Amino acid sequence: MWAMIVRRLSVSAISLVLLVTLVFFMIHATPGGPAYSILGSHASPQAVAVLNRQMGLDRPLPEQYLIWWEHLFEGRLGYSYIQHTAVSHLIGVYLERTLLLDLAALALAIAVALVVGLLQGYLADRIGGRIIGFLQIVFYAMPVFFTGILLIYGFSMRLDWLPPGGLGQGLASHARHLVLPVLTLALPIAAGFSRYFGHQAREEYRQDYVRTARARGLSEWRIATHHVLRNAVRPFITLVGMMIPALFVGGVLTESVFNYPGLGWLLWRSALDQDYPTLSAITLLIGVLTILGNLIADLLNSILDVRVRYE
Amino acid sequence: MSEAAPRRWGFLPLLRWGEFGRRWRPEPLVAAGLAMFLALAAFAWLGPLFYTASPYAIHAHRLFLPPSLRHPLGTDDLGRSFLARMMYGGQPSLGVAIVGSVVAMLIGLGYGMTSGLSPPRLDKALMRLLDAILALPTLVLMIFFAAIVPLGPLSLILLLGLVSWPGLARIVRNEVLAYKERDYVLAARQYGAGTGYLARRHLLRAMFPIVVVNATFTVADLILTLAGLSFLGLGIQPPTPSWGGLLGNGSNLAITGSWWLILFPGVAILLAILSLNLVGQGLLNRLEGR
Repeated sequence: MWAMIVRRLSVSAISLVLLVTLVFFMIHATPGGPAYSILGSHASPQAVAVLNRQMGLDRPLPEQYLIWWEHLFEGRLGYSYIQHTAVSHLIGVYLERTLLLDLAALALAIAVALVVGLLQGYLADRIGGRIIGFLQIVFYAMPVFFTGILLIYGFSMRLDWLPPGGLGQGLASHARHLVLPVLTLALPIAAGFSRYFGHQAREEYRQDYVRTARARGLSEWRIATHHVLRNAVRPFITLVGMMIPALFVGGVLTESVFNYPGLGWLLWRSALDQDYPTLSAITLLIGVLTILGNLIADLLNSILDVRVRYE
Repeated sequence: MSEAAPRRWGFLPLLRWGEFGRRWRPEPLVAAGLAMFLALAAFAWLGPLFYTASPYAIHAHRLFLPPSLRHPLGTDDLGRSFLARMMYGGQPSLGVAIVGSVVAMLIGLGYGMTSGLSPPRLDKALMRLLDAILALPTLVLMIFFAAIVPLGPLSLILLLGLVSWPGLARIVRNEVLAYKERDYVLAARQYGAGTGYLARRHLLRAMFPIVVVNATFTVADLILTLAGLSFLGLGIQPPTPSWGGLLGNGSNLAITGSWWLILFPGVAILLAILSLNLVGQGLLNRLEGR
């Protein structure tokens, strides 16, 4: 068990090194080096030289690489010359908004998937079950940016029920602004989730104990919640873990569609504005979050699942 | 292939259908998905032969016209024929993803084969590195790269290939492990077959079906990633049309009520992904004997 945890941690450590190294070399591969990307391509050579000395960019590359790591450990993520603030100041607020959106979407997706999956398992090959199966395939293939735009067009432009994006003032307004992004992000995840869970539930409904329970006169509701759900929900954590990358990726696109100022939106804006300090910091941050998410899911999974543990 | 064929064509038996071919009855999912995808490809590459309007010609007197007989999919914010833009936009949207997945397949096959045929220690190390690579967020890194290096179609193909091979590499490696102890492979080795020959002649052939399934899903993934990037304005650059870029433009213009600028590119992307998922799922069902 401990050997497994150490092995898994070492994989995450390698991911981390790869990520940081990749970002370092890409930033330093920009034409003219980072100074030009910060000051703009029309900067005077003197200004570039001054900035290079300030940032240690005149030193040899291996040394800069070490400095890069040092700064990361100290939490010094650079200064955004476009936002005019230290990048580390930006992150807290944006991270909070992203986590709010992603967790809300995840919760909604799980809730929907449990209900739909149970229903699908119960209906099996009946017409209702087949319709659910068809919808799952379609919604799973639906790109979030298409769903988002359709929802904006329908609910904001045509019906004028909900705001098309941005951020609200106060709790009620904030919640109203979150409805469409959360729906958008949750939809494909709920589809994938419920497809898997529906499959499990269906297998469970075939088991003898369900027939026994029916023979004992238990209500369908009780069979569903007390027997089928309990058994079918086992691979749950694995599934949540598998969905984490999809959640982050979908989050980046969803935030961009709805101009919801979270990390994904900031990543997108800094990419378009060529704001390299912000861009590299956000890339690192989302990368670390993804690596951590994968790690936690895998560890939980192996702690909960005896089969994996003894492998 | 006759026996006298030159040796360098030894990979050609791959083109026979292997396990699919032996008990091929049209699988409904595969047939439906394939028909859908071929229809989309025909729309993109053959369509311009029949509908000859230019996707670039600007007409100031016919902006934002809804679909009609004259302009089957309407016109956009610059009065360009949207049908023409949809057709030409399909070419990079599908083509870049398809070629990108070929790149991914080559890298994945190479890495997976190497790992599977290496001594256990090296194999373990390579697999751990692979796990580490798999944990990296692909789209985020693509956005990062796209912001730093301006991407043309060729560099997009390379980049998409470079970020999407690890899944396949793992499958290939597991297949190698499963097959390399089989009797016929061991027998070939006894007869003095080299590792390279074994890999080409036996292993590659044995894993062909699962590689095809994976490649199908990879193309679907890359279509989605590329469309997402172009939607964000970081993939294929206007005025070159692409479905993702058209959708992005349409969503910026949503306020004008031009629903056709949103609906058609969105549905095209959806159908492309959906059709390939159907093909992949159908093939997978067949492979697993469901």
